[in-house]
Amino acid sequence: MMKFAPYFAYAKKCFLGRSAYRFDHLMNIMSTCLQIFIFWGIYRALYGGNTEVDGITLPMVATNFVLSMGLGAVFSVNDYFFPDKIHDGSIATELLRPISVPGRMIAENAGNALFNLIFRFAPALILVVLTIGISAPAGLGMFTVFLLSAMLGYGVLWVISFTVQMAAFWFVNVWSITTIKNVFVNVLSGSMIPLWFMPEWMVGVLRFTPFSSIYFTPVQIYLGQLTWQEAGLKCAVQAVWILLIYLAGDFLWKKGQKKLVVQGG
Amino acid sequence: MSFIEVKSVSKTFRINKRKSGVTGMLANLFVPKYEKKEAVKDLDFVIGQGEMVGFIGPNGAGKSTTIKMLSGILFPESGEIRVGGFIPYKQRKAYVGSIGVVFGQKSQLQWDLPVIDSFELLKAIYRVPDETYRKNLSRYTEMLDMGGFLNQPVRQLSLGQRMRADIVAALLHSPKIVFFDEPTIGVDVVGKETIRNFIRELNSQDNVTMLFTTHDMQDIEKTCDRLIIIDKGSKVYDGTLPGIRERYGTTRQLDVEFSGPQEVAPIRHVEIVDLDNNKKRFIFESHEVHINELMNLLLNRYSIRDMNISEPEIESIIRKIYSGEVF
Repeated sequence: MMKFAPYFAYAKKCFLGRSAYRFDHLMNIMSTCLQIFIFWGIYRALYGGNTEVDGITLPMVATNFVLSMGLGAVFSVNDYFFPDKIHDGSIATELLRPISVPGRMIAENAGNALFNLIFRFAPALILVVLTIGISAPAGLGMFTVFLLSAMLGYGVLWVISFTVQMAAFWFVNVWSITTIKNVFVNVLSGSMIPLWFMPEWMVGVLRFTPFSSIYFTPVQIYLGQLTWQEAGLKCAVQAVWILLIYLAGDFLWKKGQKKLVVQGG
Repeated sequence: MSFIEVKSVSKTFRINKRKSGVTGMLANLFVPKYEKKEAVKDLDFVIGQGEMVGFIGPNGAGKSTTIKMLSGILFPESGEIRVGGFIPYKQRKAYVGSIGVVFGQKSQLQWDLPVIDSFELLKAIYRVPDETYRKNLSRYTEMLDMGGFLNQPVRQLSLGQRMRADIVAALLHSPKIVFFDEPTIGVDVVGKETIRNFIRELNSQDNVTMLFTTHDMQDIEKTCDRLIIIDKGSKVYDGTLPGIRERYGTTRQLDVEFSGPQEVAPIRHVEIVDLDNNKKRFIFESHEVHINELMNLLLNRYSIRDMNISEPEIESIIRKIYSGEVF
């Protein structure tokens, strides 16, 4: 337990630091709700009174974007954790601490995520459930698997960000790469347009990418669209993605340190 | 026993060489040109436990790069580094817990938090036991006179206060080795003196091994017994402070005040400079001109009111070494 004490300290610092900006997090709740209501309006218009399209009901679609946007609000990953530190040279002080730097990033992100879960996701969810209403989870057992899968989804999102950030060792300025990554994540993960509505061939391609593992897998499990076996398999796929991408990121991290140039004296 | 061992260490940076202006920018975009800069070249030195060593050199000599390699941040390109049984860049996580580093130009404190909160965070990171933490904190804050601003956010501190807070931050976990990279930069005279006293006391009482870079020669004269000078990435001097006078400081100057306006005939190997009020300065090398002979000659020929002989300041010797006048 002692081993994790420093990481808890970082997570706590981040959690407490967030509460300092009250106006900011009120606005964040607003923006999350607003996003969800806008999508609700768009999809309701698209359905135009039909109860279902391609076997997908409006409540299912609503559940998809409420959950994936809600999770998106919780899943905070600071895409500029490493780039900023490499850019201003403070990576030097990070490396002076007897802890793992990626570990510290996880800790800070987790502190943030917990804050978002309590103060951003929960209020927005209550408001949405009271107004739009979303499908209930498919049983307590499946809900537990959903929670596990959601955490794994966060893991996938995190390792993708971590790996992309390593580009900063070579390019210093990585804004464009990060933006491209975020477009991929937002569009291909099914959080804006559920993957049910994507063309067959695209879903086929996406099966070989990690993006659908982030939000779509947990949502499918929540809605009970998968059998126990399929759900188990999908969670395993998430875990494999995490491992593979992490290994790539860690390789770059070790290589990057060797060619690190500390900026500014 | 050698505690810090640096063996033929080199480090090269690849620098993107860019011409100025729009055309230069475009050329660089398509055909980037790189230039190798040898920051540290075949550097060797050994430091024993409890030693306090000044590490100086002109800007860009490779001091900071060396400190960063010693503290496990940068990888040397070739050569070997060992500090207290560790290979810093290979065993970084285990190693950095036993050292403290102060970068005068980079604060390690949390900008928005009170100083004491940063200290508490460091206590958790380094897993400092409660008792050690309390003891170190009260001792250091008293020595550095910091009681007044422990609860102020770092962004509200003056540079001198911030530097003192940074020094304490680097020492809370009782490191056995401390690297100071310009710890007195931008600090006023009183603040510098406080920091120097603190460093000296820490070294003598706790037997902490220290390496100290600075551009202020007074820092070195008042704290270090030994001096390593590097220039263009290589070592040019390694020895005691008095030793540098013996080796390079053979220049003497004799200031003479004559009773009235006086013309002086040229003397071999002696440079004569006019000062004000009938005074002249005679500059010579002690191995070329005998001081007795020179004084006798002057006393015999001219009417003299006062004489004063002095050795060169360390600072002027260092200046000569930097500018490549002596080797």
